Amino acid sequence: MNSLRLWDIFCNVIDNHGDLGVCWRLTRQLLAQGQSVRLWVDDASALTWMAPEANTQPNLQVLPWADASQSEVLKRLKPADVWIEAFGCTLPEAFVAHGVATHAQQPAWINLEYLSAEDWVPRMHNMPSPVMGGPAKGWTKTFFYPGFTPDTGGLLREKDLLERQERFDRAAWRQQHAPDLAPGGLLISLFCYEPAALHQLLKQLQGKPHHLLVTPGRPLAAVQKALAQMFADGPQLNWSALPYTDQNGFDEMLWACDLNFVRGEDSLVRSIWAGQPFIWHIYPQGDNAHHAKLEAFLEWMQAPESLKRVHRSWNGIQAINWAEIDHESLCEWNEFVKHAQQRLLCQTDLTSQLDQHIDQKSKPHRLE
Amino acid sequence: MKTAQEIRVGNVIMHGKDPMVVLRTEYQRGGRGSSTVRMKLKSLIANFGTENVFRADDKMDQVILDKKECTYSYFADPMYVCMDTDFNQYEVEATNMGDALNYLEDGMELEVVFYNEKAISVELPTSVVREITWTEPAVKGDTSGKVLKPAKIATGLEVPVPLFVAQGDKIEIDTRTGEYRKRV
Repeated sequence: MNSLRLWDIFCNVIDNHGDLGVCWRLTRQLLAQGQSVRLWVDDASALTWMAPEANTQPNLQVLPWADASQSEVLKRLKPADVWIEAFGCTLPEAFVAHGVATHAQQPAWINLEYLSAEDWVPRMHNMPSPVMGGPAKGWTKTFFYPGFTPDTGGLLREKDLLERQERFDRAAWRQQHAPDLAPGGLLISLFCYEPAALHQLLKQLQGKPHHLLVTPGRPLAAVQKALAQMFADGPQLNWSALPYTDQNGFDEMLWACDLNFVRGEDSLVRSIWAGQPFIWHIYPQGDNAHHAKLEAFLEWMQAPESLKRVHRSWNGIQAINWAEIDHESLCEWNEFVKHAQQRLLCQTDLTSQLDQHIDQKSKPHRLE
Repeated sequence: MKTAQEIRVGNVIMHGKDPMVVLRTEYQRGGRGSSTVRMKLKSLIANFGTENVFRADDKMDQVILDKKECTYSYFADPMYVCMDTDFNQYEVEATNMGDALNYLEDGMELEVVFYNEKAISVELPTSVVREITWTEPAVKGDTSGKVLKPAKIATGLEVPVPLFVAQGDKIEIDTRTGEYRKRV
């Protein structure tokens, strides 16, 4: 870390928790490094459980998106060194105009993009993007792509991650959250949208000693709906619902479980860091663009055929009968996850790469 | 004004004060329906080039230039020679041809673009039909089109095609994205 800077991070919550989840992880890491952050978000409600500490953090302001268009607010703003436009959310024009009028030189303006393992990502990463119109015409943004290879922007990874993992009491967590887990039973977490093969998973778990931990929101609703459609007199399914938790609590769930079903962008990355076998429910896109993204990720991961098949089924791309989820298959998958994790640990994390990029761009300011 | 995804190879856009010819475009779908376009640009005034990325819906000023319908005739190193219906010949520098070279074939219909009465680039139709000169053997029965394999056309351009496409088949390719559209 060379400089302490003031960052404006803009987050437009489209749906679910991924947009804010990624922005909050970035914010946390910047704060941990002594940086100052203004987080502008149009719906901060999820922060109450995702980041209950947000209101008490020094060097942090969480601001309503709409305030970025209020002249009274803008008048009081100290010019930031960095503007982060998360996932292509367009910055409010009044904010940009104010920035142009008050910045002696343009801030480092980063368009933080979606995560993908596709081969075009390195070609797009770190490319300049001249602003062709509006108040900032003539300024330049940079497209910054997270990714899985050294020629991309890398992944969010806090400095103390491995240390926290080492300190984690896995047995205690499992005892607290699944006290009745039978010997030989697997503890499985479920964080998903509405996957095509959810019925198949639940049927497979019926009558087994495994225990399913269902996260709140869409996963819980999907499970309840699926169970209502299944035979009530079938073998028992051991499951329980988890409450909303903060990001550290979510990480601990991933570390504690034998298999994690995860969804979207942020939890995929966290499941890799967890180093446990996982099955990814990728964000579905109308034009099926997510199919290529899933395949690219599985290729990068060098996933075995059995894991690829389960992923395609879970994501509704290919209908197959799942092989039994058991210790043997998890043991095989675990090797590949660990290998992927090790490869990524050798690469520079996203925040450090952002910092290196910005080092050449701005002078430091501090929040008062 | 046009959006970045509407800009084609051969178009000229204003980049600051410089008119820049678009030599190459690469369109990619990001997450949640977002898309980006990478462009390779060359100044028409000064001897410099640049590469940029835009959001697909970024608006930009397109410089409207004179165009003439022509056919491609021959290559006279380093110039590509095109001819109009009155047999007038126009030479375009190889370095200004960009991705058009991926689809170029003798007698191909295209538009020659002029700036200050000088032929500066060519614009292709949005789609062309080309024969597959190499690909792995076709897989019968898989007509989903979801799984792709590499294939090559005569210029050497590699195009991902569905498994059922065979060597010798003719396919329609989108020249803006380089993507397979359908078997013809």
